[in-house]
Amino acid sequence: MTAFARRLAGKLAAGLVMVWVVVTFTFFLVHALPGKPGDVQYEQYIQSGMNAEQAAAKVKAIYGYTSHDSMLSQYGGYLGKLLHGDLGQSISYSGVPVSRLIWAALPWTVIPVLSGLLVSFLIGVTAGVVAAVRRSSRWGGLLTVSGSLFAGVPAFVLALLLLVVFHTEWNLLPDAGTSDIQYDPGWNLPYIGSVVQHAVLPVCAYALLSYGGWLLAMKSSVVSVLGDDFILASELRGIAPVTRARYIGRNAILPLFTVLALSFGVMFAGSFFIEDTFDYPGLGDLLLKSIGTRDYPVMAGAFLLITVSIIIANILADLCYTLIDPRVRR
Amino acid sequence: MSEVEVRDLTVEYQTSVGWLPAVAGASLDLRAGQITGLVGESGSGKSTLALSLLNAVPAPGRIAGGTIEVAGVGDLTRLGGKQLRKARGGAIGYVFQASQNSLNPLKTIGRQLLDLGRSHEVGDLRALIARAKDLANRMGLDGDRVLDSYQHELSGGMRQRVGIVFALVLNAKVLILDEPTTALDMLSQASVLDIVRKVHDENQLSTLIITHDIGAISEIADRLAVMYGGRIVEDGPLLDVLRRPTHPYTKALIGATARITGDVDGARALPGRPPDLTTVARAGCVFRDRCPFAVEVCAQTEPELETFESGRRRACHVEPSTVLTGPVLTGTTGTPAAVGEPA
Repeated sequence: MTAFARRLAGKLAAGLVMVWVVVTFTFFLVHALPGKPGDVQYEQYIQSGMNAEQAAAKVKAIYGYTSHDSMLSQYGGYLGKLLHGDLGQSISYSGVPVSRLIWAALPWTVIPVLSGLLVSFLIGVTAGVVAAVRRSSRWGGLLTVSGSLFAGVPAFVLALLLLVVFHTEWNLLPDAGTSDIQYDPGWNLPYIGSVVQHAVLPVCAYALLSYGGWLLAMKSSVVSVLGDDFILASELRGIAPVTRARYIGRNAILPLFTVLALSFGVMFAGSFFIEDTFDYPGLGDLLLKSIGTRDYPVMAGAFLLITVSIIIANILADLCYTLIDPRVRR
Repeated sequence: MSEVEVRDLTVEYQTSVGWLPAVAGASLDLRAGQITGLVGESGSGKSTLALSLLNAVPAPGRIAGGTIEVAGVGDLTRLGGKQLRKARGGAIGYVFQASQNSLNPLKTIGRQLLDLGRSHEVGDLRALIARAKDLANRMGLDGDRVLDSYQHELSGGMRQRVGIVFALVLNAKVLILDEPTTALDMLSQASVLDIVRKVHDENQLSTLIITHDIGAISEIADRLAVMYGGRIVEDGPLLDVLRRPTHPYTKALIGATARITGDVDGARALPGRPPDLTTVARAGCVFRDRCPFAVEVCAQTEPELETFESGRRRACHVEPSTVLTGPVLTGTTGTPAAVGEPA
């Protein structure tokens, strides 16, 4: 277990370094943007009648620095505020801390993404096994084609298709928002029911987005494990079919943890389009809107959070490997 | 007494031009207490023959005819389902090449032994583990440590011995080893062969060793069978066959073996290349194209594998004495490594 702890510590340290790199990158990116957003803001405040000190304080509250400071002290100020969990203030929602906006948006992205991942994992992996075992039959071929198809269709097309079929054509499910307006938000059944109803299409969109990846990855993994010597060996030793299926399953699922980590990134990328299509107030939607309104602090904050999530997903996937594969463990 | 009696075994593979035999009409006995060596070039059908002894010819292959009588089990070609599964491992143990990973990389050896025991409905798993440890110890392994190890923690030679433990732990009386010395260094080769001889003698097994290394097999085998183009072309007591090869192919094979002492030019490569499924002759003798003794009849009728003196069989139209006194193949010289390689 000490080896595991050491590995975990190493991963966390590496993750922190990656986060720092991303933070630095984001800082200089916002800094390099044309028009110096901080300066523009500063000018606006001066024009609206503030004195120089007030305007500078306001800009500092929003961005964490003003352009009068040296680059290094600006960067230091930004990092210092970050360490205290202060991501600055939003411009378009004047005075609202970025962290509050992000915390409000976070569950609307994380929960549908995780549900979508779970659903597509279960269906995709099962279909992948079938596609591998029955790969010379028509059904296996059809499954593989379905995998390639969904893996190839872009997120916004998927989302629009779902919307057209299940809302416009059949009117089975609502098209926008997180719940119907007449219910009071809170832990009451009608509200939760409405939330679930509204979440169905986004979750389906996430699931379809990653389904193809699971299927294709699992199929190729199972096919390669089926060709492994030890599978033939277990057959020649008269190992029971159930045990052999377990051997195949456990070995085949290993590479999928890498796919899991990668698909987390794909999901977040997809969330821009999916949340936009379903007018769903998640992180992707927040980021997209902040780009539209040039709300740089929100942009930087959302970008940072998405990066951190992906890094965490990668660390988790890596640890799963360690737990399952003795070749990595010892 | 024969533990295994193979009669007229034909194994076919489906190809683009139809079903073609990889093993044609093979008959072979594995007797209790004897080690039989089965030699031949790559593609001669020896591995297919070995797999068919477990009725485990991989797709797209099938056993098209013949019988495989295993003592205490019956005709293996007629078995299916659970009976067949239990015969594999239970009656016949199969050992893979050392370079092959014959164990589940995610489980310790001990837990895989338990899987084996449960699959064969062994009542006393504790006794099974004890027997496995005992077998491992007698082969020079540390039983406790090995059972606690994963495959990647073992060397090639150790894996080979663990493979033998798996093959014998259920008290199988027939042991089949597929290329047991391939991919091992000389010292490991010798020790694996010693171990095979030892466990063979201790358990009074019927052992079949498949190899292309006629030198290695001559160290431990009692009998030798030679395969070419899917046919057994000659067999008999090992030393007798080595001293007096009566089939032109056997003679050429022995002549192609390089020795550590003596001139490497003394080894003579076989001219031409071995046939594969699609190029093997449909009529007549399969070796005639490369045979220096070929006569007219060889192109028309295939020679039967017949007993020509006590304990020895051959499939050749030419008289044994003619082959014995005739020339070794005169092809390329000094390139023994070219045997079986494309010309």
